[in-house]
Amino acid sequence: MSVEADRLVGRLAGFKISSDALHKLSALFTLFMLVALFAFGNAAFLSVGNGLTVLLQTSVIGLLGIGMTLVIVTGGIDLSVGSVLALSGTVAGLAVKAGIPVPLGMAMGIGVGALCGAVNGIVITKMRITPFVATLGMMLMARGIALQITGAAPISQLGEAFGRLGNGSLFRVIGMGANGLPKVIFPGIPYPAILLLVVAVAVAFMLRRRSIGRHIYATGSNEEAARLSGVEVDRTKFVAYVMTGALAGLAGIVLMSRLVTAQPNEGVMYELDAIAAAVIGGASLMGGVGTVSGTMIGAFIIGVLRNGLNMAGVSAFIQQIIIGFVVIMAVYVDQLRSRR
Amino acid sequence: MNAQVSKLQPLVEMIDIQKSFGGVHAVEHVSVDLFPGEVVGVLGHNGAGKSCLMRILSGAMTPNTGRIRIGDEDVRFLSPQDARRKGVEAIYQTLALADHLDAPSNLFLGRELKTRWGNLDDRKMLEEARRILHRLNPNFKNLSDPVSQLSGGQRQVIAIARAIYFNVKILIMDEPTAALGPAETAMVADLIRQLRREGIGIFLISHDMHDVFDLCDRIVVMNRGRNVGAYHVKEVTKDDVLSLIIKGEMPDGWRPRDAASRLQPGLDSN
Repeated sequence: MSVEADRLVGRLAGFKISSDALHKLSALFTLFMLVALFAFGNAAFLSVGNGLTVLLQTSVIGLLGIGMTLVIVTGGIDLSVGSVLALSGTVAGLAVKAGIPVPLGMAMGIGVGALCGAVNGIVITKMRITPFVATLGMMLMARGIALQITGAAPISQLGEAFGRLGNGSLFRVIGMGANGLPKVIFPGIPYPAILLLVVAVAVAFMLRRRSIGRHIYATGSNEEAARLSGVEVDRTKFVAYVMTGALAGLAGIVLMSRLVTAQPNEGVMYELDAIAAAVIGGASLMGGVGTVSGTMIGAFIIGVLRNGLNMAGVSAFIQQIIIGFVVIMAVYVDQLRSRR
Repeated sequence: MNAQVSKLQPLVEMIDIQKSFGGVHAVEHVSVDLFPGEVVGVLGHNGAGKSCLMRILSGAMTPNTGRIRIGDEDVRFLSPQDARRKGVEAIYQTLALADHLDAPSNLFLGRELKTRWGNLDDRKMLEEARRILHRLNPNFKNLSDPVSQLSGGQRQVIAIARAIYFNVKILIMDEPTAALGPAETAMVADLIRQLRREGIGIFLISHDMHDVFDLCDRIVVMNRGRNVGAYHVKEVTKDDVLSLIIKGEMPDGWRPRDAASRLQPGLDSN
C-alpha cells in the first residue's frame, strides 16, 4: 500500500528521491492512514484531548527511541534502556523522598542513566563484548538495583513538585464556566511533549551538523574505514551509549513524574518498543542508517496504534500481535525498496 | 641544489622492523627506505608481510621492535592520525570508505571542515570535494549519493583524493588498480607519475608486474616476513623478481643488469 504511494509520489514529483526520504514518506503515509482509520472508527479519536494524550504517551517511547537510534546507527543496540529508565526514576524518587530538591533529584536520575550508559560503553569498547550481551547484562543489573534499593515496592507521596514535569503543560487556558466554576478551554501542551521536541531537534542537529554525528554514522557504516580515516571509533561509541543512557534516565523521570510514583517495575520491555520505533523509522540494525525524524514517526505510529486500538476496545494482547506485524512489514518494505 | 640535497636524504627509513602475532612472525627485521620523488614497489606473495609492513608505516599497526625515521626525527605512530600528521597517507586495498556517507563526507572523514561555531561546514566540503574530485576525474558526478552507489573507479578516486589532498609526503598505495578497468588504471598510473614529479615518495604494493616495471624506481621483495631483496628496477628482469617472490632468492648465477644505477637510489629520471 505505502510502497505504491511512494512510487506514485516519486513519479509525480518527477525527480529522484533518496531511499531514506522514501522510507520516511512511506512511514509518514502509514501514520496518516492510521490516524484516518481510527478517526473514521471513533470521532473522539481526533479530539484535542486525545491528541494530547497520544503526545504524552508517545513522549517516553520517543525519548527512548531517539537514544536507541544513536546506538543503532553505530551498529550496536541497547537492551538496557527499559531497566535504566526504572533505575533512574527510582533513584530520583528516593532522592526526592530523602529531602533533596526535585530538580536536583531528577538530575541525579539522569546522571544515573548516563552512568549506566558509560558502563555499557566501557564494557563494549574496552572489554570488547558485543553490544547485545553487554546491554543484556546491564538490563538485568539495572533492574536488579532498582528492585533492591526500593525493596521492590513503589515509592509514592513524592509531592506535587515531583509530578509537575510529567503532568504540567504549557499554554494551559482556563476560563470561567457558565456555572461560575473554572473550565479548561485548552488543556495545554504537556511538558513531556515539549521536552521530546527539544531533545529530538537537539539530537537531530547533532547527528547532522556536528562531527560527532558524522562519526556515529561512519562508525556504523564501516568501523574499520572510520578508524583508518582517523575517527576515534571507541570514543564515538562511548559517547553514543552515554547519551542513550542519559535519555533513558530522562524518560524515566518523565514517566515516574507522570505517575508521581517511583516504580521499580516500570519500563519492562520498553527497549523493544524503542527498537521498533527506530526500525519502523528506517534505522538499520546493520548500522550506518537511521534518523531522528524517522524514529519520531516510528514512535508515533506505535503510539497512535496503541491509543487507537485501546479506544476501539482491542485487547492488549492483540495490540502486541499487531505491533509485531507492523515491525516486520516495515523492515520488509524497506528491503524490497533497497533491492529495487 | 636544494632539491638535490633533499633527494639524498630519505623521506622515511624503516629500520629493523619486527612484528609478530602470537607465534607468527609477520615481519622479521625488515629495513626499507624511500626518497623524495621515488616509487618503491613492495612485492611478495599474499601473507609475505608487505601489507603488514605498510600498515606499520601508516600507523594502523604498531611494530614490536624497530624504528621509523622521518627526516631527522624518530617517530612513533600509535594511530593513523599520528602518521597523517607527519605526511604519511595510505590508500588501502579495501578502499576504507564508509558506504552510507557521500563523497564529501568520506573525503573529509576524521578531519571535517567546520564553521566558526564548530558545526560541520557541508557547503564548503562539497565545494572542495567537487574541485578535488574533478581534478582527478572531470566526469565525477553524484557527489551527494552514498558512495555505495558509485562505481569502483569513482570509489578509487575518492580514496586517492583523500590521501593526496592533505599535504601528503609519503603515500602508501595498496593494490590501487586491482579493482579498476583499463582506462581507470591508466588514470591512476598517470597520477602516480604526477605525484612523483611533485617530489612525493610512494610505496606501491602491487601484483601486476607490468605496473611495477612501468612505474617503480626500485623494488623491495618480501618473502615470509623477510626482506629478500631490494633492487633498482633496471638491475632485474621480471623472471628475477618472480624468483624472489616465489623462492625468496635470485636465480642461480644472477648478476645485476646495470650495476651503476644501484648506487643512486632516487636519482632516476622520470
